[in-house]
Amino acid sequence: MVETCYIPKDLAEALRVRKETGAKPIAGGTDLMVVHRRGTGIVPRFPWPVMIITQLQELKGIHEEDGKISIYSGSTCHEIEASELVPYQVRKAASLMGAQSLRNLATIGGNVCNASPKGDLPVPLIMLDARVELISATGVRQLLLDDFITGPKTTALQDDELLSRIIIPKPEQPFTYLWYRKIGTRRANAISKLSMCAAVTLDLSGNIIDFRSANGASGPKVARSRSVEELIIGTSVDTLPDILPRVLDAYDGILSPHAMPQYRRSSTRRMLAYFLTEVGKRPAEQIIQ
Amino acid sequence: MIREIQFTLNGEVVALTCDPLKRLLDVLREDFGLTGTKEACGEGECGACSVLKDGKIITTCMVPMGAVHGCEIMTIEGLRETQRGRVIIEAFADGGAVQCGFCIPGMVIAAESLLEEHPEPTEEQIRLGISGNLCRCTGYDLIVESIRLAAQRGKGLW
Repeated sequence: MVETCYIPKDLAEALRVRKETGAKPIAGGTDLMVVHRRGTGIVPRFPWPVMIITQLQELKGIHEEDGKISIYSGSTCHEIEASELVPYQVRKAASLMGAQSLRNLATIGGNVCNASPKGDLPVPLIMLDARVELISATGVRQLLLDDFITGPKTTALQDDELLSRIIIPKPEQPFTYLWYRKIGTRRANAISKLSMCAAVTLDLSGNIIDFRSANGASGPKVARSRSVEELIIGTSVDTLPDILPRVLDAYDGILSPHAMPQYRRSSTRRMLAYFLTEVGKRPAEQIIQ
Repeated sequence: MIREIQFTLNGEVVALTCDPLKRLLDVLREDFGLTGTKEACGEGECGACSVLKDGKIITTCMVPMGAVHGCEIMTIEGLRETQRGRVIIEAFADGGAVQCGFCIPGMVIAAESLLEEHPEPTEEQIRLGISGNLCRCTGYDLIVESIRLAAQRGKGLW
């Protein structure tokens, strides 16, 4: 009998099923169960074979390994927001994803592999140079999350692979300032209209030695540009007001919003201007509200 | 491969063989007759179908049965038999939190999940705790007040 849904008992069995049938994984179900629902009392129908991976213990947990944070793909948004190991902006993004009931189900693996342009977790993860580890019955490989997400709803995941974990490296020096902002409507369950995060590292004399920023819901995938970041890196925090217009224009160039482009462009300008202006004041707090 | 789905339902170990993609919501209402869990939006927006999974609030319209294997599920029918459940339900009744009542099973589950995490919640915490549950009648204020009342009356239970 050809089955349409598998419940593997462990990771090895899941990888075998994946290789033999190409069944696609479902973890929290918060997106897929809604997309494929057919109404009260009727079993949702998927156009492909499915494999439930919620129960796989090998895909759970958040650990620090070799100075890097590993978030296993079955970790829920609630577990991520509650973990002291996870960097601030990732926790903050997780804490603003839907209601408590959704955050207890939705997983980081689902949010990343869904690769929605509006997905919340990839934004800070890409800013932090996170990598993904992909596992199959025959091997393991890693790549940058920014390269793994190839476009709207598309990733580099092969038919025999599962995402096992997301690995977040620590920056060479701790960030001096951190900032995260999400614009949505209803407090619970709002899908981002825009999300943005940024981080800056200053040396003792106020020179910017690291600057990064990333945007969600502003194009086919998370927008991040190292060439724009290099406009700021190496300058003094005191000269930020002078270079701000040039930086904002350059940053605008990396956005390609599909719907409401004017709104998204002008809001992004204002958000980035706000962050850099706050950094220019050199506040005592690390987290800029 | 797991064929028979086993889980704990309101304290009793149960097992069933069904399509693993059948929604937990439909299994609770149709297979077990636990109709206190309601369906409204069917897409995780309204909270009417909330239950506790391993002590944490979830919306059952999004959960395939295959993901319930090995879990502890408590519905409103189980919660109302506990001391905590009784305190919340009495506070809702005394505080005037209920009008049409359709959202209330989900609201009581949300209150339990909230009080488990914050036994002495602030108003902000209460409002966040029920932010995934929609009510079309009350305007929420009396529900918030009733949860505060439950926290006072049930001091030490959470």
